[in-house]
Amino acid sequence: MNQKPVLKQAFVSSLPVLMGYSTMGFAAGVLLAAKSGVRLPALWAFLTSATSISGALQFMLVDWIRTAQPMLDVVLLTVCLNIRYSMYGLSLIERFRGLPLAKKLYLIWSLTDETYALEVENKVPPGGDSILYCLTLAALNHCYWIFGVVSGAFAGAALPFPNKGIDFAMTALFLVILTDQCRERKNRVYAAVGLLASVVCALIFGAGKMLIPSMVLMLSALIVFRKPFGRLETWKPGAGS
Amino acid sequence: MSGTSTEYLLLLTAVTAGVTFLLRALPFLFFGTGKRPPALVLSIGNVLSPAAIAMLVVYCFTCYVRDRAPADHMFGLAEIAAAVVVVSLQLWKRNPLLSILAGTAVYMTLVQTVVP
Repeated sequence: MNQKPVLKQAFVSSLPVLMGYSTMGFAAGVLLAAKSGVRLPALWAFLTSATSISGALQFMLVDWIRTAQPMLDVVLLTVCLNIRYSMYGLSLIERFRGLPLAKKLYLIWSLTDETYALEVENKVPPGGDSILYCLTLAALNHCYWIFGVVSGAFAGAALPFPNKGIDFAMTALFLVILTDQCRERKNRVYAAVGLLASVVCALIFGAGKMLIPSMVLMLSALIVFRKPFGRLETWKPGAGS
Repeated sequence: MSGTSTEYLLLLTAVTAGVTFLLRALPFLFFGTGKRPPALVLSIGNVLSPAAIAMLVVYCFTCYVRDRAPADHMFGLAEIAAAVVVVSLQLWKRNPLLSILAGTAVYMTLVQTVVP
């Protein structure tokens, strides 16, 4: 059948992402040009945004470039930032089964928070090709992200402005993600575990060396105490036990 | 190695893209054949994200205090004020972009004017 309605619907579904990615990407691009100290910021904005397609990572990269963060830290932090992606595929395994390898690899590679949400929603017109819908969505969102980051890098390099403190955008992004996660009661328990573990490790090991011990402490606590934590998920103050 | 040497940047780009892709591919690699993931993996996977993001928030805040004496950054006043703006706006309006822009604007204003 004619697949034009599928392409059209994919474009319509992607419009909110266009708004989000072009502005958020722009901020990350400006930050890269302003703070990383890299030459040719637009080139690196393009390479990093096109290959990773990850918002929080794009912000973190600026700091890593500026301080030449050791690669082990980079790997661990990337895992921390993006571990949620490793859950997304679980709900798409069936739909992507048996696809040609290139299509499957692209669909996995392009699986951002927003693309995942739209693919699960799957508003494909009746009789339309769901894979074509997913591929179109993924490619559009991918382009929006690259466009946002690269244009931000150009703007940041062309128009220097008093940018002291602009790096707070990354902290703000994490705070927003955390705030939204904590709307769910059960997530509050685990956010508190992460908070406690990392504050303890920051006090013991110092600000610069806290990450690896925090991850170890956090993971061990989550595994060892998973049953008590599970009971806490539904605990209400004052309701008794 | 300088922070901005081309070799470092290329390695950084490859490593971050590679790790991110691997994370996205994990379920397809392990459970693509129809096996159910072990219960422990599923339960840790479901709860790791809020814990990890909370840790990153703490990490960001420690970066602000890392190289300075408490009095030099007003005991974190600018950071706390901006964080309160971000969280309250997000709870109220649920608009990530608005929360991030407003919080960053507050922070930039504070560190460029009030806090030295």
